[in-house]
Amino acid sequence: MARFPSARPADRFRASGSKRLFPYLFTAVFAACVVFSVREAQVDPRVFLEGDALGNVAKFVRGMFPPKLDVEFLGLMAGPAIETVQISVMGTAIAIALGIPLGLLATSSLTWRGVLHERTSRTGRWLLGVVPYAASRAVLSVFRSIPEYVWAFMFVRAVGLGPFPGVLAIGVAYGGMLGKVYSEILENVSPRPLETLHAAGASRVGVILYGLVPQALPNVIAYTLYRWECAIRASAILGFVGAGGLGQQIELSMRMFQFDEVLTLLAILFALVASVDFISGRIRGWVA
Amino acid sequence: MYELRGIRKVFADGTVAVEDISLIVGSGEHVAFIGPSGAGKTTLFRLLNLTLRPTAGALIFEGQDVSALSDAGLRRTRTRIGTIYQQQNLVGRLRVVHNVLAGYLGRWSAATALASLVRPRDVAGAGRALAQVGIPEKLWARTDELSGGQQQRVAIARVLVQDPDVILADEPVSAVDPSLAVSIVTLLRDLSHESRKTLLMNLHSVDLALGHFPRIVGVREGRVLFDVAPDKVGPELLAELYAGHRDEELQLEQLRDGKVSFGAACRPLPGFRK
Amino acid sequence: MARGAVARPGRAAPLLVGVGFAALLAWSWHGTAVDLPGLFGGEGLRQVATYVVKLFPPDLSAGAWRDAATGAVETFAISLIGSLLAVCVGLPLSLLATRTLLYRGILFEARRPGPGARAVRVALYAAGKAVLNLLRTIPEIVWALIFVFMVGLGPFPGVLALGFHTGGVLGKLFGEVLEDVDPAPLEALQATGASRFAILVYGVLPQALPQFVSYALYRWEVNIRAAAMMGFVGAGGLGQRIHIAISLFQEHQLMTLILAIYAIVTLVDALSAFLRARLV
Ligand SMILES: Nc1ncnc2c1ncn2[C@@H]1O[C@H](COP(=O)(O)OP(=O)(O)OP(=O)(O)O)[C@@H](O)[C@H]1O
Ligand SMILES: [Mg+2]
Repeated sequence: MARFPSARPADRFRASGSKRLFPYLFTAVFAACVVFSVREAQVDPRVFLEGDALGNVAKFVRGMFPPKLDVEFLGLMAGPAIETVQISVMGTAIAIALGIPLGLLATSSLTWRGVLHERTSRTGRWLLGVVPYAASRAVLSVFRSIPEYVWAFMFVRAVGLGPFPGVLAIGVAYGGMLGKVYSEILENVSPRPLETLHAAGASRVGVILYGLVPQALPNVIAYTLYRWECAIRASAILGFVGAGGLGQQIELSMRMFQFDEVLTLLAILFALVASVDFISGRIRGWVA
Repeated sequence: MYELRGIRKVFADGTVAVEDISLIVGSGEHVAFIGPSGAGKTTLFRLLNLTLRPTAGALIFEGQDVSALSDAGLRRTRTRIGTIYQQQNLVGRLRVVHNVLAGYLGRWSAATALASLVRPRDVAGAGRALAQVGIPEKLWARTDELSGGQQQRVAIARVLVQDPDVILADEPVSAVDPSLAVSIVTLLRDLSHESRKTLLMNLHSVDLALGHFPRIVGVREGRVLFDVAPDKVGPELLAELYAGHRDEELQLEQLRDGKVSFGAACRPLPGFRK
Repeated sequence: MARGAVARPGRAAPLLVGVGFAALLAWSWHGTAVDLPGLFGGEGLRQVATYVVKLFPPDLSAGAWRDAATGAVETFAISLIGSLLAVCVGLPLSLLATRTLLYRGILFEARRPGPGARAVRVALYAAGKAVLNLLRTIPEIVWALIFVFMVGLGPFPGVLALGFHTGGVLGKLFGEVLEDVDPAPLEALQATGASRFAILVYGVLPQALPQFVSYALYRWEVNIRAAAMMGFVGAGGLGQRIHIAISLFQEHQLMTLILAIYAIVTLVDALSAFLRARLV
C-alpha cells in the first residue's frame, strides 16, 4: 500500500466558538419569530372551509370569464394604461434627478475620504463627513424607508388627486433607493485608476469624469433601468390610493364586482410590464 | 468488462470528439490511456461511465448493450462504475464527509440520502477512505476550502466508498505534486489489484503510464493509435502520438535529454536512456 | 483603412437614444400634468409646507404609541410569514420551471426521454412557467383584495397575498438559479448511480442555496413595505391605521405611524443585510 505524508492533527475547521454557536442561536430566534408571527398574523387555513370562501372563489373566477373586451371599454382604458406608463417614466426621471446629487454626496470617497481629499485638513474632512455626507445619507434613508404609497397618500393630500402625486411619490421613494445604490456603486469603484489620474495631476473634476464615471456608468444605468421596471408596477398600484393610472380602474372594477373588467385590466397590466421589461432588457444588453 | 465497437461521439455543436474506437477490456485488467490534449480521452471516459450516449457504435458492459438499458438499469449499472474526474466535480459548499459519502448514493434510498445530510451515515467509512488517501483530518472541512490536490483525493475517497467493479480515473494526479502523484497511482493500482477491480486511467505523464500499467492505449484525434504493452512504446510511437502538440513534444524532448527526473517507482523510459 | 483598426464610433446611435428619451420624457411630463413650476413656485410648495407643519409634533400619547407599536408588530409578522409562504409556494414551482431537471442537460444525455415522455415534461415546464407568471403578474394589492373578498378582513389575507405574488417572483428567480448551477458536480453524482432526487439534494440545492437565501431576503425587504400597504384594503397592519388616520385628518397620529413604518422598514433592511452577510 502506498505511503502518504502523515495527517496534520490540527483541524483549522473547528475554529471559532461564535461560528459554532451562530446556527443554533439563529435557528432558535428564527423559530420563535415564526411562531410569534403566525399568531400575530392570525394565520388560520380553516377560514377557507368556513363560510362561503370557496363559493366566493367560484363567483370570482366565473365572473372573470369572458373578459370584457368590447371596444368602448378598451378605448376607455387606453387612457389610464398610457397614464401608468407616463407616471413610471416621469417618476423615474425625478428619482434620477434626486438620486444623483444625493448619491454623490453620500459617497464617502467623494465627500470626505480617499484620494480626492488627501490635502483636506482633518477638521475639514470631519466637517465634510458630518454635514453633507451624514445629512444626505439620512435623507436617502427617510426617502426610501417610507413606502411609495404612503408618500402618494401624503402628496394626494398636499397637491390633490391625479397622476402628479403618483409621480412625486415614485420620484421620492425611488430617489432614495437610487441614491443609496448609486453611492454603493461609486464606493466600489476600483481606486487604482483614480490614484493614477490624481498622480498625473488631474483636477477633482477630471478624476471624477475620467476615472469614476466610466467605471460606474454601466452599473448605474442597469440599476436605473431595473428600477424603471419596478416603477411601472408601482405606478399601477398607486392608483389604489387615488393617484391615477390602471390601479384606480382595477380598484373601481373590484369594488363594483365587475370581475370581467378586472381580468382585462390585469391582462393590460401584464402587457405593459412585459413590454417595459423587454425594452429595459434590450437597453441593458447594449450597455453591458 | 467492456466491449466497444466502432464508438463515435459527435457533440451538439458538431465537434467530433471520438471518431471511431473499438476496444475490449477484460475484467480486472489495468489499462492506461495516453494522448495529446483534446484527443478525446475524457469524452471516452464519459461514454464508458454512461454519462454520454454514443452517436454511433455499440457499447457493451458485462455482456449487456447499454443502449438497451432502462433508467433504473442505467442507475444500477452506474453504481458498478466509479469515476474520478479530471476536474474534481465536487460540490464545494458541502462538507468533505458528504462528498465522500455521495459514493453511497447509488445504493441509498431517498430517505437515507436525505437523513445523511443532517446526520452523516457512515462517518467511520468516510474517515477510513480519507485516511487511505492521506487526508483524514479534512473529514469535516468545507470542500471548497481544500486545495486542488486535496479535492482530487476527496474524489478518490468517494470512489473508495462507492466500491465499484471498474474504476475510471481521468487524470487523477493532474493537481498534485510528482511524489504524491506516484503514491496515488500506486494506491489505485494496488487497491484495484487486491479487490480485482478493473482500472482504466487517463494519464498526462507518459512515465507514470509506462511505469505502472501493463497495457497502454494511445489515443489521437478520437482514434486508437496503438494498444500495446509498455515495452513496445518507443520514441517513434510517442512522437507520432504527440505530433503537432507543442507542450507534449517539449515534455518528450526533456525526457530524452534527461531533464525530468522520474519518481522512484518508475522504470526508466525505454529508448530514453541517456 | 488598416486591418484591425477600429472604426470611430458613430454618433447617430447615442443621439437617437437621447432624442428618444427626451421625447418620452416630454410626453410623460405632459400626460401626468406634472407641475413642478407650480409646485416650487408659490401655491404648491406652500400647500406642502402647510401639510408638513400640520404633521408635527407626532402624537406621543400612550394610546398612539400602543397603536403604532401593535401595527408595526402586525406588519412585521405579515411580512415574515408572507415571505416564508412565498418560499414554500415558489420552491416547488421553481423545480417545474427548470428545464435542466426535466428534459435536457447532462442528466438526460445518456437516455433522452422518448417523444411522448418529453412532450409531457415540456408541458410540465410550460405549466410551471405559466402558473408563476400568473402569480407574479397580479400585484400583491390585487391579491389582497381577492383574499379579503374570499376570507374576510384581517392580517391573514395580507399574508396570503404576499405569499402568492412573491411566490411567483421567487419561483421565477429560483428557476433561473437552478438552471444556472454548475453541471460538473451533477455529472459526477450521476456517475455514482445516484437517483435524480439524490442529485437534486446533494448537487443542485447546495449550489443554489446561497442565492435562494439572498433572493428571499431581498424579497423580505420588499415585502415589509408591501405588508404595510395591505392594510389599505382592510388586511391589517400599519397600513390600515395609516388609512384611518388620513381619512380622519388625524395628522399627529399619522406622523407617529409614519415614524413606526420608518423604524420597522429600517429594522428589516438591517436584519436582512446582517443575515445576508452571515448566511451567504
Ligand atoms: N460538451 C462538449 N461540447 C462540445 N465539444 C466538446 C465537449 N466536450 C469536449 N469537447 C471537445 O471534444 C474534444 C475532445 O475533448 P476531451 O475533453 O475528450 O479531450 P481530452 O483528451 O480529455 O483532453 P485533455 O487531455 O486536455 O483532458 C475537444 O476538442 C473538446 O473541445
Ligand atoms: Mg480530459
